[in-house]
Amino acid sequence: MPSRRTFVAALLALLLALVSANAFAQAEDWAAVEAAAQQEGKLMVYSTTSRTATAAQNFQALTGIEVEVVRLGEQDLIQRAYQESRAGVNSVDMIVVEDWVAARELLAATGYFVNYVPPTAQALFAPRHQDPLVLGFINRIFGFNTDKHPDHDPFVSVWDLTTPEYRGRVMIRDVGITGEHQNALTEWVRRADELEAAYERRFGEPLVMTEANAGLEWIKRFLQNDPIIMTSDTRIAEAVGAAGQSDPPYGMFYVYSKHRDIPLQDLRLRDSRQIDPTIGYYYPIVLQLSASAPNPNAAKVFMEYLTTLEGFAPWADSPGVYTPNPNQVPFEGDMPFWWWEDRLWYYDLDFAAQTRGIVLDTWLKYAQR
Amino acid sequence: MRTRLQRLRLSVTPQRVLAVLFLLVLGYLVVVPLGVMLQETFIVHPMERFQIPGSMPGDYTLAHWQRTFVGENSYAFFYRPLINTLIISLGLAFLALAIGGTLAWLVVRTDLPFKGLISNAAIIPYVMPSWTLALAWITLFKNQRIGGTPGIFTALTGISTPDWFAYGLFPITITLALHYFPFGFMLIGGALRNIDAQLEESAELLGASRATILRRVVIPLVLPAIFSTFLLTFSRGLGTFGTPAFLGGPVREFVLSTTLYANLIGQRPGIGYLAATVMIALGVLVLYMDHRIIGTRRSFVTISGKGARAGLVALGRWRWLIAGAVLTFIFGVIAVPIVALAIDTVMLRPGIYAWSNFSLHYWIGEASLRIGLGTGEPGILRNPQLMNALGNTMQLAVLVALICGVLGMLIGYTVVRLRGSLISRLLDQLSFLPYLMPSIALGSIFLAMFAVPRGPIPSLYGTFWLLVIACVVSYLPYAVKAGISAMMQVGPELEEAAIMSGASWWTRMRRVLFPVQKSTYFSGMLLPFISVTRELSLLILLVTPSTQLATTITLRYTDRGWYPYTNGMVLLLVIIVISSTVLSRRLMKTDLAKGLGG
Repeated sequence: MPSRRTFVAALLALLLALVSANAFAQAEDWAAVEAAAQQEGKLMVYSTTSRTATAAQNFQALTGIEVEVVRLGEQDLIQRAYQESRAGVNSVDMIVVEDWVAARELLAATGYFVNYVPPTAQALFAPRHQDPLVLGFINRIFGFNTDKHPDHDPFVSVWDLTTPEYRGRVMIRDVGITGEHQNALTEWVRRADELEAAYERRFGEPLVMTEANAGLEWIKRFLQNDPIIMTSDTRIAEAVGAAGQSDPPYGMFYVYSKHRDIPLQDLRLRDSRQIDPTIGYYYPIVLQLSASAPNPNAAKVFMEYLTTLEGFAPWADSPGVYTPNPNQVPFEGDMPFWWWEDRLWYYDLDFAAQTRGIVLDTWLKYAQR
Repeated sequence: MRTRLQRLRLSVTPQRVLAVLFLLVLGYLVVVPLGVMLQETFIVHPMERFQIPGSMPGDYTLAHWQRTFVGENSYAFFYRPLINTLIISLGLAFLALAIGGTLAWLVVRTDLPFKGLISNAAIIPYVMPSWTLALAWITLFKNQRIGGTPGIFTALTGISTPDWFAYGLFPITITLALHYFPFGFMLIGGALRNIDAQLEESAELLGASRATILRRVVIPLVLPAIFSTFLLTFSRGLGTFGTPAFLGGPVREFVLSTTLYANLIGQRPGIGYLAATVMIALGVLVLYMDHRIIGTRRSFVTISGKGARAGLVALGRWRWLIAGAVLTFIFGVIAVPIVALAIDTVMLRPGIYAWSNFSLHYWIGEASLRIGLGTGEPGILRNPQLMNALGNTMQLAVLVALICGVLGMLIGYTVVRLRGSLISRLLDQLSFLPYLMPSIALGSIFLAMFAVPRGPIPSLYGTFWLLVIACVVSYLPYAVKAGISAMMQVGPELEEAAIMSGASWWTRMRRVLFPVQKSTYFSGMLLPFISVTRELSLLILLVTPSTQLATTITLRYTDRGWYPYTNGMVLLLVIIVISSTVLSRRLMKTDLAKGLGG
């Protein structure tokens, strides 16, 4: 018996030693990284979010390290980094990238970009938010006009959107030109059983399908129900929420951050929080380090900065955008990210990569009137 | 021996040297991208492998072609969008011809008042970005379908517009035609102006009726201009994306460019580039028809020197009414979008049109998180980054215009002097091809081509010169068209006389050929200039922080829905372009009409 107790104790001691040694190694390593960063040149960052430029200015004021930010659309960023990687141009140090499904296939799988977890993220971020390192999550939700529905949320089920009541009244950003929508809808395929069950709960009879699964069947029926396809989330939020409408449209999958404008623009807009089986999705903005970065240490220090509350401040000025850093206080009126994470759907990266083409094909097939 | 050497020296004329040089350069800059694009349609790309069983990225495949043309869903994926594209392109081309032709006839061949004003103003719709008209259309005519605040028309009349009128193919065609009719106006106007009145008078003497003269004399002479208008506007209809996406989405009418974008964003470039290939093929088909039908007649118009001016058709008591209608139309097309843009920039809270909401915050305000949209950005005029980007845009536009102008003149010279030879035809058509390439594809291919050093060409990555090259290639067609038409109007006699008096080639160019057609060349620079100021998709992959342009930097505002900034920047660009157009007219006596080979 004693031998067993000793063994456990020894094991614990060993573990403790390992952990502290690791932490010590990290701390020492980090000081060296910071010192090296000061010796490096101007950092080059490609980013899909324009707020990175603001964060870069703050960072520069704090550390003296210069940062150049090129703002690109999600597809443009991936395309540009991909072409550069193939041509062997090594000028970018890090990327702030969306549509991780595509970016992973084209940029990370090839080894051109690698994951890096700076100290704050290591200490505070949940492991699933460390690889890939997440700068923040964005919510996309369903919304309605509160003038028309002052007391209650009109949606019960996602299948409501395929009924005559919502014919010609639902707005969505074109799935064809929105990579994240394509990813999100692959989850509707992966969890088709849940959609099928939701159909039965809603209508009391089993779903009869012509498509391969309930997810694709929903896409078909939704498109056959005459939705309104838009090119901008801003215009969707404004159209749904504008005051004085007798028959306002409904918004699907627009970014929740547009709700920041509710007081500024007097919008009558609220998000739906009880739709069976999903009230929307979230997706990550990912940070990746170039494997051949000219300024790797400066990039690491900037990544560290972005994972702190101070660094994330430019994103924290609206609802619907969340750092994985648990110390973040939610935007006024918004819920913390863990609350959303329980309710919104995410997507499986491998399944999304494999299925995305099928989702897009189903969309293109039925979208055309 | 000696004679053979002499013969060789004689055969090495400047135009031949130039021809070979241009063929090499254009071959590299035009044929290589085309080849790359075509090759991509046979390759499996990383994300495509999941839908092509057993394939690896980089494998060769026929799957994209099969899927597009004969696949189970090829109607929905390809043929239906193709039909919509053709409807829009044809409708746009005919409307642009009808509107542009009528205006041109009224200005050139009648005693309409306010001609100067009309011909100045008729070009402005092209100066504005095409989406401004789409935006104006929605603001005016939207109905309940897309919610929000009601359209102005409905608000004023109480009549709700039908969906087919508010969205889809109809407004797409109309708004694009309103954007591109200046091409028709310029080209046909130029051709009408060149008709020797003696031809018509002779016909009249021979007893031909007015209708016969029109049918047998005027129309055949204007035919080349008609076809050119058709070609230019039709091709633009094939590739345009913004307006169809914005106006077509609400009623789910999609076009070929939607297929291109959706597949690029879906990371299926093979399928996407195939759509682009079809667009180019359609354009080449029209180009070929153009050459077949009028290629032999083209000399008709241009050899006629300045004969007597035909007598003007008297419009009689209708002239004021018609002038009023024309001016109302043109100013409607210009003023409505401009005013709509301008109003949006001075409304503190978007969409609330009240005096109490009026503010210059987005122009001259200080950065604030509490005022208006709470953007935390300084107003446009005091925002150094925006002003810097605007400066870059102007620099690029001027540089591209100058290079295009010189190249256009030299290529035009070569094409005309070697007329009838294979090399001349090749050069002519090669220089037109970039006009047909979707710019999003061209930008990506240029990035791949110039990112690393290739042979004698150093890596141009991140340099301003890469932007210049991309733009020059893209807008060369305008300049070459101008160059060819200018050179056509100058008979070889002038140059021969100069050779007789011992002038070198350089002297001939500088002292004879350039000065006599100076205004045409300057006009040939104006179109590239205008086009550069609003180019986005071609350059987005090529800009770096130090080479940010007005359009690329504006993205950060569009991105977050801060339209007052976006619209303000567009407005600034429009003002700059219009004033430089007017200025260059004054200074150089340029005429945009000649810029298109009128």
